[in-house]
Amino acid sequence: MRVNPAYWVAGAVLLILPAFASDFVLYQLFGWTFILGMIALSLMFLAGYGGMVSLAQMTVAGVAGYMVAIFGESAITDISQGWPWYVSIPLALLIAALFATATGWLADRTEGIYTIMITLAIAAAFFYFFNQNYVIFNGFSGFNGVLPPELFGVNWRDPIAFYYLTLFWAAAWYFGAIYVSRSPFGLALQGIRDNPRRMAALGYHVTAHKVAAYAVAAFPAAVGGILLTWQSAQISPGTAGIGPAIDILIVAVIGGIGHPVGAFIGAFIYVILKTFAIDLIVFVGLGSERFRLLIGLGFLAVVFWSPDGVLGLWEKLKRSRGLNPLLRKAGRRP
Amino acid sequence: MRRFAENHPWWLAAIATAAAILLYLIFAIWPDWLVQMLGKKKVFLNALFNGITLGALYFLVASGFTLIFGLMRNVNLAHGSLYLLGAYIGYSVAGWTGYWLLAFPAAFLIVGLFGIVLQVFVFRRMERQDLRQTLVTIGISIVLADIMLWVFGGDFLNIIPPTWLSGPMETILVTGVKRSSGDLIYLKYPLIRIVIFLASVAIGVAMWTLLNRTRIGMLIRAGVDDREMLSATGVRIQLVFAGVFAFGAGLAGIAGVVGGTFQSIAPGEDVRFLLASLVVVIVGGMGSITGAALGAVLIGISEQFGSVYFPTYSVVVTFMIMVLVLAFRPQGLLGRS
Amino acid sequence: MTRGAMPGDRAFSAGTANALELRGVTKTFGALSALVDVTITIGPGEKRAVLGSNGAGKTTLFNCITGDFLPSAGAIRFFGEDITSAPAHERIRRGLRRTYQISLLFAGLSVIDNVYLACKGVARGRFSLLRPSRREAVMESAEELVRTVRLEDSRDVKVSDLSYGQQRQLEIAMALSGAPRFILFDEPAAGLSPGERQDLVGILKGLPSHMGYIIIEHDMDVALQVSESVTMMHNGRIFKEGKPAEIEDDEEVQELYLGGGNA
Repeated sequence: MRVNPAYWVAGAVLLILPAFASDFVLYQLFGWTFILGMIALSLMFLAGYGGMVSLAQMTVAGVAGYMVAIFGESAITDISQGWPWYVSIPLALLIAALFATATGWLADRTEGIYTIMITLAIAAAFFYFFNQNYVIFNGFSGFNGVLPPELFGVNWRDPIAFYYLTLFWAAAWYFGAIYVSRSPFGLALQGIRDNPRRMAALGYHVTAHKVAAYAVAAFPAAVGGILLTWQSAQISPGTAGIGPAIDILIVAVIGGIGHPVGAFIGAFIYVILKTFAIDLIVFVGLGSERFRLLIGLGFLAVVFWSPDGVLGLWEKLKRSRGLNPLLRKAGRRP
Repeated sequence: MRRFAENHPWWLAAIATAAAILLYLIFAIWPDWLVQMLGKKKVFLNALFNGITLGALYFLVASGFTLIFGLMRNVNLAHGSLYLLGAYIGYSVAGWTGYWLLAFPAAFLIVGLFGIVLQVFVFRRMERQDLRQTLVTIGISIVLADIMLWVFGGDFLNIIPPTWLSGPMETILVTGVKRSSGDLIYLKYPLIRIVIFLASVAIGVAMWTLLNRTRIGMLIRAGVDDREMLSATGVRIQLVFAGVFAFGAGLAGIAGVVGGTFQSIAPGEDVRFLLASLVVVIVGGMGSITGAALGAVLIGISEQFGSVYFPTYSVVVTFMIMVLVLAFRPQGLLGRS
Repeated sequence: MTRGAMPGDRAFSAGTANALELRGVTKTFGALSALVDVTITIGPGEKRAVLGSNGAGKTTLFNCITGDFLPSAGAIRFFGEDITSAPAHERIRRGLRRTYQISLLFAGLSVIDNVYLACKGVARGRFSLLRPSRREAVMESAEELVRTVRLEDSRDVKVSDLSYGQQRQLEIAMALSGAPRFILFDEPAAGLSPGERQDLVGILKGLPSHMGYIIIEHDMDVALQVSESVTMMHNGRIFKEGKPAEIEDDEEVQELYLGGGNA
């Protein structure tokens, strides 16, 4: 199989980045990009391949983060069980997957556009539940002091180690999503997206496939949630609130939900904006809190003018330049 | 109704029993064992009435949402922002003019107008693109939320009702007996909440009548059932769409004034009321006004009882209602499959 | 096997089953009669063309056979089994396939993926997360079908980028997937260029001899080339049956068919 040279360039740059980038860039910018990208990838998998826009993927990430804090170690010793990582992490992934499966089953009880509403309601319910419940979730303040295990004697919160850790998982899920997209399961999911009735007529159990997709998509989100918890060493209801849930949708849509790479492009744009736009806004003379306005307007612009996100813009550009005759031919369609 | 009774005798029996118990709890003087079990009757009645009035408020917001969805299949996730916008407009108008009553038409008109703008510039341009419409309304709600935060600040604001509406009103319901004299103690309940409840009922009944007894209502209902047919009859469907959108948005605006009067106005209320609308219409049934009323009262009461009797799990109670409805009746209690 | 068979009716016994038998099938929509007392018997491996002007009841006939509509009266047997009121997916599992006039393909997937999905629907491992190897039996049959309908050059092209004619060819490949026993072709030549029509004739003639089908077709030329027998329909009734040559020369048919204005 011929590999696109862009992969080699991007891979090489990402691998040697720690040689010249600062800790801030590695830990904050790229660590966060990879984490957000993983969670957005989970949404992209459901929305892009399955046609199911779930706003509960951030909640899946949050559940995994909470479970690691509860079963593993944190500063809240009354609640945290302090079990070893090889118990707490698989358990966290399992519970997150079960949660996602239940969410998928509920969201698929009705058709089409209801999914987004039901998953939003589920995300909100769990945000309030985390907030109200002190026995298990420690209420408003959540858990702090949630640290990664010192596996192989490495401090995984060291910027370079954390960078490679998140890069590894981002790459793993990225290539995993591409691989699965051509498996019978992934193909069936795309078939369901294009024509559920025909799929049922061909003998597929459409509901079972959709619910299974939620279970599969839970894993990148759950790993992202655990890494996010380790990055800031804490998790609280705000981590998986309604705002972050919608931000994941924004990330996925800005990048483009047609291809897994869109999730990471969107995440990078979001992180850059969130980190540097504040300076720009202040420079223009507005208060730094106008960040949401900027994100909202940017999101609106993308949805209005390029529903396929940045990836869509890229395709348009390629078409107009005629770099790809095949795409150019297809370009006659609106 | 009769067919329901014939088809579901057990359901009917359960509903009748529940209604009888509820009536007893409301009107009887509670014996001691009941007080021991449930606490003071006053607390119970207050939770019940607060639940019903909260349900009335939810109904005002959700009925517009469900009407718009039912007719146009538009999922307007900026509906909560319309509520908050109405609240801020009502706050400003009542503040400038000094007339509380003026806040209502002002909020209805301005938010309704904004609804028309949304319908013409967003939904009409993206017909049959459900997902894109939904995404755009999310974007709009983010932008609106920040603009409102910018203009009105992050403080809690209150719309002050006129003096003739403030203060409690003595009702005919007995909460207990005075131990010393044997006199009956009557429940005092805020007059404003009673007025708002009655007004919501009036609006609900008016909407129902409009939909079921007038020509325009027939057109709208026909459109809910079959949009192609409506456009095939030569009705200027876009005009009907814009009108319904304006009305639904205007209702959310009015609800904002109501909510600003007996609760408070603050950033974040938009999301709260959007979620309340979502849950209410999921529970009640998409596109059904009666379903929205039933769902709103159910959710309002469950929230209030939840916060009184199981404070840590009040959200879970509401959520479980939604889950149960989705599991056993995914089209909603009064929705059609 | 023979539940519901009428005693003494030798034609309905399972052993020498005909591929498809319709007995007095009638379908009314309110006051409108779309099919009236239609009786057709198609032997094993027989290739039948159904001709008739628009509104003659051809597509309603297909919908009754596939189970999209239940007939108002009459009985349908498929290889001896009564399927008059069997659900649609049950008929598919028994080996009945059809193509549609409107395209129902998976627009976002490539040609091979479409055919692969169609083949995989009745196979095991539909939930597998592992990519199929080229040697997987289902993949091999999918590749074979792509060659059968002469789309091997467009194997990896997305359906939305195919030409209309290619989409129709793909539609046929989908109908051929999963070992069908009998296929209903609904106007496969509609909208095709003369060249593409010849390709279509080639594809249909290349089908194995045991695989019977009914083809609805407006293009008499195509229909008569690919069929062994012809049924003419008019106003929901059977008007005439015969060999292609007889039908072609029949003056009454000529008049009716060409006079219908829709040929």
